[in-house]
Amino acid sequence: MAVSVAVSSDRIHTGLRLGEVIETTTAGYWAESDVLHQLPPLGALVASTLPDGRRNYGIVAFGQTGGLDPSRRAIKRGNDDLTDNAIYDRHPELQHVLRTLFRVASVGFKEHSRVRHSIPPLPVPLHYSVHACAPAEVAEFVMSPRYFAALLRHHGDIAAEDMLAAHLRWVDELLNDNHVWLADATRRVASLMKRDYDRLVIVLDSVDPD
Amino acid sequence: MPLDLNVIMGQINDMAGTLDSDEQARRFDALDNAWSNLDSVEVNERYDTAITSFLLAETSEDYRGTTPLTGVPDTYSVAASDGSFILPDRHAPLRFFLLNTSTVYLKYGAGSTAEISTLPDIRYQEADLIVPDDPQRTPIDGTILGFLRAIEELKAACTCLEGREGATVALQDGTLVLWQVQGQSDLVKDWILEQFIDVLDEFRKRDQPVASYISAPGATELMNMLRVAVCDYPEMGKAIDCKHCRSQPGRVPTCDVLPNIPDRTLLTQIAKLQPGERTAVYHSRSKIMRDYDRDRTGDQKICFFYLNAGREIARVEIPRWVAADVDQLELVHSVIYDQCSLGRGYPVVLQEAHEAAVLSMSDRRIIEVAIEQALSNVGIMPLHTGKDGSKRGRFV
Repeated sequence: MAVSVAVSSDRIHTGLRLGEVIETTTAGYWAESDVLHQLPPLGALVASTLPDGRRNYGIVAFGQTGGLDPSRRAIKRGNDDLTDNAIYDRHPELQHVLRTLFRVASVGFKEHSRVRHSIPPLPVPLHYSVHACAPAEVAEFVMSPRYFAALLRHHGDIAAEDMLAAHLRWVDELLNDNHVWLADATRRVASLMKRDYDRLVIVLDSVDPD
Repeated sequence: MPLDLNVIMGQINDMAGTLDSDEQARRFDALDNAWSNLDSVEVNERYDTAITSFLLAETSEDYRGTTPLTGVPDTYSVAASDGSFILPDRHAPLRFFLLNTSTVYLKYGAGSTAEISTLPDIRYQEADLIVPDDPQRTPIDGTILGFLRAIEELKAACTCLEGREGATVALQDGTLVLWQVQGQSDLVKDWILEQFIDVLDEFRKRDQPVASYISAPGATELMNMLRVAVCDYPEMGKAIDCKHCRSQPGRVPTCDVLPNIPDRTLLTQIAKLQPGERTAVYHSRSKIMRDYDRDRTGDQKICFFYLNAGREIARVEIPRWVAADVDQLELVHSVIYDQCSLGRGYPVVLQEAHEAAVLSMSDRRIIEVAIEQALSNVGIMPLHTGKDGSKRGRFV
């Protein structure tokens, strides 16, 4: 049994289901990955479709893998002769007792073919699917970077500037447009953070340390 | 009213004070001596005429014989099941019981994989709530439900291993001997044992070994064998007769020189069973084994061995047809040891089966609420008994 601990680029770029919402609020939600260890990367844009057809967008803000039962802590399984994926071969039950979760911060929605860069009016229902966004959909959503302000206000385990920087890198790599979008986006970030130079430097250094 | 700790602490100190270390040392010296000088042939001769009041281990091998671990197969699979239940409650608005049976299948080696599932089953029909064909209409109580759970667990493991090829072992937690059926009516005993042994026989037909694992076993059959070995009645030309011995005024039975300890302590402290080693296979001389021996070949009887599983001495029970097949016996021995190594001292397959089967307080409450809602939907307002109400709404 080969356990993939890397995100499959096929899944994240082709609009396939990534997981299911297990805790939801207007500001965002927790989703459980369909496949252990396979989760969208930090900063990735994901979407869920509500019963009325509205599509809620969010950005991956955190990920974690742990015991399905919170009262059972993970323990060390390996040694010099048994490491990494071989541990999962030796303990096949781990596939069933562990789970991978990711947190998504709401940043916008699409209604009647119009993309809005503001917090969606309704949370994604519990147990609804979370999908990867196809490149064209990503391009459409990020065309206007008005959602950056919401991202910078995000509170979570990952600092907002790190999350924003991860998002900028992720979009730049996906669009593969000779950094045209990235250049425009960083100008917008600089404008938003003109009164907070220290945090702006963190974002810019993280996007392009050179 | 809270526990009176002052009283308890005094009693705990009194209890600790009864452990006389010199006396214990003398009794362990006697035990060491009895074990070292044990004559297996003579013990079996004594068994022929002995009338004892305790359960005895019996073997045609050397009682002190041990077998090392010969190696774990590269590829094997193991299935286990466990169950939990909700008892019929006379305070509940509806009489029902719930059995929740989990099954875990783990395959190791090339193509390693795992399957974990649970099957909840609510039984509420009148025919489900009483022992079938019983003119006394014996209700299904906690004890009988325990038997039914054992049957369902064994069936679940059996179904799980159907069609599985290669080295496979079915493992159960606890004993394969349903001791408590001895306290039931013949009708209940026959009803339960027939179902249970039918499933064991299904494993036999498929040539798939089945075993059970008892952690921290409290059994004393080996210690009792030593009591027979040290008895001085044969030296006086008399057959061993425990009742007679203990009825003699002023007589201190010779076997009282041995400490009152379980077999696992004997095997740890005196026999010094090493990690991975197992003892000889012992047969139980209990009367209940006659009920297991339905085909009168003896193959359906349950026997056992002790295994140093790494962290503890465990008792492993197997049908005699498993014990009689050297390959199957070796497979059970090695698979259980490997499972204990993987599970830090307890078979991982049993650990996961338990985790999957357990019904939390929250699960129980959800079921309770769901039943009340279902009754409300058909226009029945559940009434709670006075006692039940007093537990739900406690007041001072």
